[in-house]
Amino acid sequence: MKRLLFPLILFLLTILEGVALDLLPTDLVMGNLLIVPHWVFAFLIYMVIFYDKDSTYHSVVYALIFGLLIDAVYTGILGVYMFSYALVIYIIHGLKKILHGNFYVLILLGIVGIFLADLLIYAIYTSVGLVDMALENYFLLRMLPTILSNLVFLIVIYPFTAKRLSRWGREQLTGNSAL
Amino acid sequence: MQFFRNKRLFILLIGFIVLVALIGYSLGERNNLTTAEKFINDAVGWSQNIIHTPVAFVTGIATNVRDFKNTYEENQLLKEQLSQYKSLIYEVQEIEDENEELRELLGITETVRDYVPIQATVISRSPERWVEQVTINKGEQDGVRSNMVVITAEGMVGKVQSTAEFTSNVQLLTGFDQFNRISATISRDEEDDIFGMIEGFDQETNSLLFRIIEESDNDLEEGELVVSSELGGKFPAGLIIGTVKEVVSDQYGLTRIAMVEPAADIYDIRHVIVVDRSLDEPEEEGNDEEEDE
Repeated sequence: MKRLLFPLILFLLTILEGVALDLLPTDLVMGNLLIVPHWVFAFLIYMVIFYDKDSTYHSVVYALIFGLLIDAVYTGILGVYMFSYALVIYIIHGLKKILHGNFYVLILLGIVGIFLADLLIYAIYTSVGLVDMALENYFLLRMLPTILSNLVFLIVIYPFTAKRLSRWGREQLTGNSAL
Repeated sequence: MQFFRNKRLFILLIGFIVLVALIGYSLGERNNLTTAEKFINDAVGWSQNIIHTPVAFVTGIATNVRDFKNTYEENQLLKEQLSQYKSLIYEVQEIEDENEELRELLGITETVRDYVPIQATVISRSPERWVEQVTINKGEQDGVRSNMVVITAEGMVGKVQSTAEFTSNVQLLTGFDQFNRISATISRDEEDDIFGMIEGFDQETNSLLFRIIEESDNDLEEGELVVSSELGGKFPAGLIIGTVKEVVSDQYGLTRIAMVEPAADIYDIRHVIVVDRSLDEPEEEGNDEEEDE
């Protein structure tokens, strides 16, 4: 049952990303700031910190699948989100072993993760010539607003997800999770 | 330990190769999506349709409240404009009738301005802001094909980039570059029309770049209307694109570029019309042959 729940939540978040810009006021969307919702990625950070054990890699697999989904549906350039999301989630999986999973670590790793993921996307798009934007402009106009807005999302979903995910994680470890 | 470190590096390298291959594949010349992509787009599109309805309802309420505030002022303005339009409508009708009669005399039934409209609703917008793309809820089943022009009531907003069975992706004017351009023209009363290409969007000034290929004797003026031209072959003439804001020379100083303000609000589109012109293509070919004989 829970195995089905993760794909469902991630799929829902993928779809919600598509209408996210409608929810923002038009002035903000029309302006120079580029705010990109990374909600799927934010949920994957929760998964990697609270659900995955040191030896399991569920979140990396989901990052691959849903990264590819975002590529296919929203950009048409396959592989960019897939590669960036999966690699950064894998890095966070490694960092998590050093740090104990709590709220502050989540915020810290969330910022680091979104920073790295978006930077990778920028690097790939720039190298294929899709984007022509100076680095300082990118940091000011896209990186900063993107990290801030996704941080808000990360904090908002904390009460609903953190406890539940770590409980499911323990169930997965003891082996009596209802399949 | 050594083995694991190698394995990690190995996987990273394979991942990188897969990435390059996938990007190379999707950026290459391809006119149609693969079956898998079409299936994914349709499945996601179906769910987007469901999600979109309540979201549109909520945002609709917010817009309605905002609209109520300036209803009175708008009403005054519109009333004034209405009286002007009444005489204009009469004039246009006369001209249209006359045009039709003259066409019948000459035996021309189809014009470059004819098209079949396909109504569609925008169900999502790409969260990746560098890819200016929206998804609409009409696809190949409804007759949408790639490269068709998409307009709103105000003017052109983009063109269809790829189609699935029940949804299609529309590239917005703001995302145009030298690979995705449309031919446009500025109509002149007494001298030759000005032809050119819309081939990009300037983020800083929020205007389209209209490269002028063939210039008329007189200079462009501010506020002149840029419309689509039939010379591109894919879409009908006379669709409004925008108005000229400013004319500058390009980086080499060889051609001139007009900054065009888009007529449609590209950031706030909900309902669009896909312009289907393909119906008259076979007949056009037939006419050509007759002319050849």
